[in-house]
Amino acid sequence: MSDRKAELEKKKAKLQAIREEKERRRKEREQREAEEAASRKPNPDKDQRKVDEMLSSLGIAPVSDVLSSLSSVQSVSTPDAGSSAATPDASLQPSSHVSSKKKTPQLTSVSVQSTSIPPKETVVYTKQTQTTHASTERDGSDSSSPLKGYYEDWFRPRKAQAFGYYDEYNLNPGLEWEDEFTVLTYDEQAEDEESSLPPLVDGFQSKLPPGILPHGLPKVKDMEPAITSVEQEQQQKKEVKQIRELSDDEKMMIVLSEDFLRCMDRTGRVMERVLAESMDVYTDYTGISNSTDKNDDKVGGKVSISRWFSDERWSRSRCVTSMDWSPQYPELLLASYYSAADSADPDGVCLVWNTKFKKTTPEYVFHCQSPVLSATFARFHPNLILGGTYSGQVVLWDNRVQKRTPIQRTPLSATAHTHPVFCMEVVGTPNAHNLISVSTDGRLCSWSLDMLSQPQEILELQHRQSKAIAVSSMDFPYNDVNNFVLGSEEGAVYSACRHGTKAGVTDTYDGHNGFITGINTHKVQGPVDYSHLFLTSSFDWTIKLWNMKENKAVYSFEDNSDYVCDVGWSPVHPSVFASVDATGRLDLWELNTDTEVPVATATVDQPAALNRLAWSASGSHIAAGDHNGKIHLYDIPEHLYVPRADEWNKLLVTLQELKNNQADDELDKMNLNSGPSSLTSFTSR
Amino acid sequence: MTSEVDDTLKRIQSHKGVVGIIVINSDGVPIKSTLDNTTTVQYAALMTQLCDKSRSAIRDLDPTNDLTFLRLRSKKHEIMIAPDKDFILIVIQAPTE
Repeated sequence: MSDRKAELEKKKAKLQAIREEKERRRKEREQREAEEAASRKPNPDKDQRKVDEMLSSLGIAPVSDVLSSLSSVQSVSTPDAGSSAATPDASLQPSSHVSSKKKTPQLTSVSVQSTSIPPKETVVYTKQTQTTHASTERDGSDSSSPLKGYYEDWFRPRKAQAFGYYDEYNLNPGLEWEDEFTVLTYDEQAEDEESSLPPLVDGFQSKLPPGILPHGLPKVKDMEPAITSVEQEQQQKKEVKQIRELSDDEKMMIVLSEDFLRCMDRTGRVMERVLAESMDVYTDYTGISNSTDKNDDKVGGKVSISRWFSDERWSRSRCVTSMDWSPQYPELLLASYYSAADSADPDGVCLVWNTKFKKTTPEYVFHCQSPVLSATFARFHPNLILGGTYSGQVVLWDNRVQKRTPIQRTPLSATAHTHPVFCMEVVGTPNAHNLISVSTDGRLCSWSLDMLSQPQEILELQHRQSKAIAVSSMDFPYNDVNNFVLGSEEGAVYSACRHGTKAGVTDTYDGHNGFITGINTHKVQGPVDYSHLFLTSSFDWTIKLWNMKENKAVYSFEDNSDYVCDVGWSPVHPSVFASVDATGRLDLWELNTDTEVPVATATVDQPAALNRLAWSASGSHIAAGDHNGKIHLYDIPEHLYVPRADEWNKLLVTLQELKNNQADDELDKMNLNSGPSSLTSFTSR
Repeated sequence: MTSEVDDTLKRIQSHKGVVGIIVINSDGVPIKSTLDNTTTVQYAALMTQLCDKSRSAIRDLDPTNDLTFLRLRSKKHEIMIAPDKDFILIVIQAPTE
């Protein structure tokens, strides 16, 4: 232990000794350095003294004085140097002094945060352009613009409306333009105010120190200027102006496009109807009206002309060959026309007239190469129109297609007609119907409208020693698809049937001496069935009434003094029929009233031969077509189309009377026959 | 085929009191007109707007409905507008007696 202690003591003493040694050495060194510095210092003093001596010998203040004065100035000025020199002397300070002081480059890495400040938006108001533009318009300097007059027109009243709250303008419309201008510039003033104030968003952001993003605060945006109606219109006007440049070629393209044609077809039709309507909605009944005399005419029970249909191009100098009223649309009247000698248009023409609207042009125009002799609406197919032509073709038109030529036609071959087709009729029911056509060589074809390439059946109408009948007219009795009656060119009338073991001609009715122009069966339904009655008209100036069960005519109406061209029973009155003749006379007969003379007669204004007649479905109108292509539409007096209930029975009596008269005639004739003989014998005696 | 359009226009024009006919497309660009250029452009622009507005009114009342004809009667004229899908036919008629 003691050793150890002694050892520790020893070491301590050693350490102490080392420390003392170190201290001593340090002191020695310091002393030496001080001595060295002291020994070096006297040198400049010595030089200075030498210089001083030299200077003083020359009479100049010693350097040490000057230096001491300089250092005193420095010590005063140095504190001010940092505060950017309030004295102008600061600029004289040697810059090296300051910069050396500041430039102590301490480089640290800093994360730079960039903030993007959008450039200030320049809001341009269209108002400005508008006002300038309008003012030039006002000046008339922009006279080249085609819209000039227009602008003036629309701009002024609208503007007044749009700024209606500016009483100044409204109350004083005579204000000069400058005044208006000041009124209008409220938007621009607003703009000025805005621009004088810093924009809210930008200002807000710019006040934030860079690197600090605005957080969570609602963004405030400039209010967009309200678009007034004037401005909108202005814009639209500009658009129109832009696309207005359609060249003639482009216009031509549009005009020729299918769409345009269809549109024009449709809208043109509508427009014509609207234009033709002459109804004056502003009729004033408080004034004196003298248009009541028209009703008096009707009371008189006369047939009055209601209107006429004629088309300068399509129907003039074309004979009306047939007419038909549409079963679906009772106001539509179909008429076919023969060829015109001096026309470059196709030979065959069919026109559809509208009696409902007062327009004077046809609703539809159809044509084909061969003259159309008979035309009919295809019953059960409202869009189809059928025509029998001189060449023997049966043609089919469709009013749904933008085409005036037939969409279908039957072949011109031995399997079908090769002679003119004067009569055509669609018979049957909606589910089973056929088109029956007869040509003048006596061939009857029945067709399905779905297939016109080939007739479904062919029947040769022959009479005695297989002599073909030149059929000029045909009619089916009401609700009959099998039996029918025929009129021939030679004057004979036949009945025939389509089916059965004895298909063909069944009976002959002799009596007429000339071409049978029309044949018509009785179709009015009522308490008594008269469907066995039919009428014929002929070139022999007579109309004959027939009973299918008798071979002799029931009665012969001989009041006409020219060819009787057509005859037709009223569709509603059992004892009324009409006839037309070549003198242009339309006769209405009422058998129960008079069998000798017609009850009503109308004559066309200009001399023309009436060729066809057609009763409207209601029996209140008759259309009569003449040889010049004009169709006269007549109003029928009311008592001739509103039958009383007893007319059917009355007709029975009338027919019996006619029969009795006939018998009396026979008797008279026999007596007369014997008479002359006795007379001759008397004279000879 | 163009003659058919011309025929239609001629027929309409021949009606008593018809002052002018304008056919414009749906953008309001005149395609055919019997009036002078200024009047045509003016009518085309205004009638297009009127037609659009009328149509939207009709459709707003009943979305399944559509405008088919527009007839404006004024002291001096009667303007008849037949809007179609792509084109609009405008006829200006002076009053009859």
